[in-house]
This record gives sequence, C-alpha cells and structure tokens, in this order.
Amino acid sequence: MSIERIDPELCTGCGICVNSCPMDVIRMDEKGEKAIIKYPEECMCCDYCELDCPVDAIYVSPEKYAPLMVSWC
Amino acid sequence: MSSENALETDVLVIGGGIAGCFAAIKAKEQGLDVTIVDKAYAGKSGASIAAQIFWMVFNPEWTDNFDELMDTFVKSGEYINNRDWCEVILKDSLAIYQDMVAWGVEFHPDWSECIHMFPPFTGIRPKFRKAAPVLRKQAEKVGVKIIDRVMCTDLLKQDGKIVGAIGFSYDTGDLYVFKAKATVLTAGGSSYKPPQFAMRSITGDGEGMAYRAGAEITGKEFLTTFPTIASYPLWGRVTWGYLNLFPRFATDGEGNRALPFSDYLEPGPEGFRREWKLNWEFLVHAGRGPILWDLTPVTDDDIKEAQRAETKSGYRAIEHERIGLDLNQRGKIPIAGGPAGYSQAGQAGVWVHDTKCTTSLPGLYAAGDCGGTRYNGSFLTNPGLGTSGSAVTGRRAGGAAAEYALQVEKPVIAKEEIGRLKKLVYASAERKSGFSPRWVTQLLQNTMMPYFILYIRHGERLQAALTMVEFLRDHLVPKLTAKDPHELRLAHETKNMVLSAEMMLRSSLFRTESRGLHYREDYPRRDDPTWLAWTKVKDERGRMKVSREPVPKEWWPDLSKPYEERYDLRFPGEFVE
Repeated sequence: MSIERIDPELCTGCGICVNSCPMDVIRMDEKGEKAIIKYPEECMCCDYCELDCPVDAIYVSPEKYAPLMVSWC
Repeated sequence: MSSENALETDVLVIGGGIAGCFAAIKAKEQGLDVTIVDKAYAGKSGASIAAQIFWMVFNPEWTDNFDELMDTFVKSGEYINNRDWCEVILKDSLAIYQDMVAWGVEFHPDWSECIHMFPPFTGIRPKFRKAAPVLRKQAEKVGVKIIDRVMCTDLLKQDGKIVGAIGFSYDTGDLYVFKAKATVLTAGGSSYKPPQFAMRSITGDGEGMAYRAGAEITGKEFLTTFPTIASYPLWGRVTWGYLNLFPRFATDGEGNRALPFSDYLEPGPEGFRREWKLNWEFLVHAGRGPILWDLTPVTDDDIKEAQRAETKSGYRAIEHERIGLDLNQRGKIPIAGGPAGYSQAGQAGVWVHDTKCTTSLPGLYAAGDCGGTRYNGSFLTNPGLGTSGSAVTGRRAGGAAAEYALQVEKPVIAKEEIGRLKKLVYASAERKSGFSPRWVTQLLQNTMMPYFILYIRHGERLQAALTMVEFLRDHLVPKLTAKDPHELRLAHETKNMVLSAEMMLRSSLFRTESRGLHYREDYPRRDDPTWLAWTKVKDERGRMKVSREPVPKEWWPDLSKPYEERYDLRFPGEFVE
C-alpha cells in the first residue's frame, strides 16, 4: 500500500499532516478531532506526513501500490 | 450547493513554492495587496519541498568565474539558452541567498562538503525540507495573504488582459474567484504523475491555464532525467549521501559497468561532471537493461563512507531497514527512470519575453518551473539551478507584476466570463457517468511514460502516441467524472496532463533534430541552421499551432567551426549518413 495507519490513540488532531500531504490523502474526521486516511489511492510514499507528525502517530509502508486496471473506466 | 468566494487583490500569485514566495515577498515591497493561492499548502507542496540537494550561488568571493559559468551554461544547453537570463540568474543569486539567510533558512554548515560538488558551479545545501516553509513564514510576516488547498483551474481574461483566476476548494467544493490587477503564475512544471517520484502533485496546471487563455508555451520537448533509485521506497527519507555510490556500482543487465551519462567523470576532488545525459536510456534501448545498482562488490568501507557523507549532510540518516532498502544485504536495485517525464526547469513553460517574466498576455507573468525562461537550454545545466532559478525568476516576476499593478485600474470582469469558467470548474462533478480521472491518468501514463517516448524518440512513435493522446483529449477528457471535490481536483489534473502531453508530443515532432535531452532516432544530429531556435505552442481557434522562434544570431556558435568542435557529446547514429 503506502500510508498504512494513523493511530487514533496517539493522534492529537493538530492537522499538521493534512497540510503536509500534497496529494490530499489525509483529512480530519467528521468531528474534526482526528486525522484519517481518506484517499489512500493518491499516496505517493513521500512520507512527509510521518516525518512531520509531532507524536509519531503515522506509519507509511515502503511497499508501493498501484491499482489494477480491471474495469474500462 | 457550493458557495462562492469572491476575492480582490492587487497581485495574485498562483503557486506558493520557491518562485511564488519570492514573487509575493517582492511584490509586497510596493505596499500592494498580495495573495498567494496554492493547490496544496504553500511552502510544503510541489517541487520546492524536495529541492534540497543543491542551491546554486554565484559569488566571486568563492572564486567563481563569471565567464566560465556562462560558457558552461551555453555548452551544456547547446546554444539555445537565453543568455540574458543566464546572466540574471548568476548575478541575482547572491542577494537571494543573503535574503534567505536573513529570513532564517538554515544551510548545511559544512561548506567544504557541498560547495564544489558540481564544478564549476558553486552551491550550498539548505537543510532538508526546511527552505520553502521559511519562505512561507517570511511571506506571512510581510503581510502576504495565503490561501491554501484551492486549485486554480483557469485564468480570468477581460479585453485581452489577464485579471485573476478562478478555482475551487477541494475540501468544500466552494468556488473561488480572484480578481487581480496582475497575476503571477508559479504553479510548477509538468509531469504525468510518475509512480517512482514524489512529485505527483505537479501536473502542468500553470501552463495549462495559460495555454487555454491564449499564452505561448515553449520548450515542451525538453524533459529532465537524473539517476535515482527507480522506486525510492519513501521519498521523504531520500538519502542523497548514497548518490556517491551510484556511478561506481551501476551496471547494465549483463553486469557491465553502466555510467549514467555518456561522458562521465569519477566523483572525487573534481566532483561530478555536469553532462548528465541519456546513457542509461540508450543502454536500455539496446536491450541491455535493466540498469541496476549492484551492491554486491560494495565493501564495508564504502558503506561507512556513504553513511558519513549522509550524516554530515544533515538528513535523517541510516533508516534503510525501516524504509525497505538495506544496503547491508548488498542487493541489486533498479535505478533508471525515476523522474520520468518531468518537465525541464528553466526551459519548458509559459514563454516570457524578457527578464521581467512578461508573457504574451498583458497582466500575466510566469516564473519558476512554470516560466519559459530558457536559461538552461537543451539540458538542465547544473543541479541547484532549478532552485536558485526559481527564486531569481520569481522575484523578477513579482517585481514586474507589482509595477504593472500600480499602473492599472481595478479590473471589471463580465459576469458571462465568470459564468463560462465556473461551468468548466464543475463540469466533471455534474456528470453522472463517464470515465474516472484515475483511469484516464493511467491510460495517459501507459502512453507517455516509456523511455522510447520520453527520451529515445522517433517520429513514428511520437505520432502514434499523439494519436492516442488526441483520442484521450477528444473522447475521454470531455466525459471525466468526479464523485466529490477531491476527485474534481483529479479530473482537472488529468485534463492538464493530457494537454501537456499533446504539447510535448507536438513540440518533439516539430523539432526535427537531436539536441540535449531531445534525441530523435530519425534525426540524430543537431541541425544548427534550422534549430538554433525555440519551439512554441499556442491555441489558435481550438487547434494547437506549433512555431519556431530563432535564437538571436549573436548567441549562435561559430558555424564555420566543424560540427564535432561545436558539440563534444555524441548521439548514436549522428555520423551515419
């Protein structure tokens, strides 16, 4: 995959990772309390979110992921 | 239903990387109202965040020789540099560096490690990922307004002048209309979202909106290549210290030593040689791939030396097991093709007429990787020129845009024009069925990303790719769908990448010669009488028109000299008649 998890126990909801992601992979949850992985398809493994997280709540896997073209659209 | 935000500003800067921040800070000196809008987060998006390996500074006190550097520019760029810009880049770079130091950008403390890494240019290294965020802070400090996470999709035009831009928030879906007296485009270069390279947010948005507004785009046939691990596990932990190991341990598929460049010097006291060209691509093309980083013969001392270099350079070092790259395993790692298709900084982009970044559209200025400033010529002359070049051109553009904004009235924009562009913003979102942008992007990548389209070219293959891209343009792009504002961003990116691909293919077909990183198997020689020239593409009543703009004669090489003396780098096949 790519970005694998944001630990909800550790996440303080500061939102730094949302701004660190150039690809809009991460959003705040509906209550605006925790960061969540919303669009993992766009993750490019830059790892900036993990590097910038002040509480080490994020793990990005080095395994890359490319979706298969199984459908015609 | 999404809401509308109408904002007015004197100078609008689209893209908040190195060029955008310098443009905004400079424009602010005139006391104007200046706004940066960024597709992601200004100071943290685009190419600038990764641009840390080298920052070129020309400083006579560091024994830099102006004439030698100008010669290097011209020889590397094979005479199609805009030499006015080469001079400006060199001469403005020291002041830029001094500004950055004053604003708090931290540079690598051990200068002996980095200053003469790529002679004859002098360069320094900002600390990893630390330069652009400081530029953002400085912009905020001087009162620049910053709007993050809004993607601009088109420029606003009134009476032939550019008067701002339109876009949307991919968080809320809200419309943003920016009315501006002057607009600076610093939205980066273009790519096809290479899977191996963490610059997938750079999708030719700036040149796309400029093209649609009627601007000229230049240099699209010139791309970037440089050696990097083809699939770097985690780009943010990129470990440049290990670059020192690359050339010594690169092999082709048969186990022969494979230098990345056709004419390469060992790294050592003299540093790297600047000619980074297409040797790996030629080897792959000859069936001698894959190009591997073969660490089997690496000694413990080699590893220690690389680790030392890396630790000294201030990166988060020695995390290789964590990132899935264990040097101690002495494995074989594929290394060719990393930044495939990324446009060439300081060459490709919106054509600028002068060293003020003026474009063919009044009110529009272009700089950074988005500006067709052409200081690099046919090849990225030296590491570090993309960064300092972005700063220098951005600052020039910001200054010129502010001067212009002081002279013009507040724009009045017809409601019909805003209505027309608003429809284009949301077209994909309103479509219930069609094609997903992720799928169309994959189709485009499969068409455009092979080395034999990007680097080892032939008219027949370029034409075949163009046929496919025209089909994507005509049949799939008009039926792109977007389920939410996030996908709406993907749809606009896909549309811009398809346009960028068409520009690249038409420019490459048009340049019927080989030069720098543009190699044509069917035209393997430089053709000086015809092609000491730049290409331009421009929209003409819905069709893409390609044209040629000759390089001024005073910048030509001496044509009475033999070809072999004008060009010391050889292309395969260039002497076979």
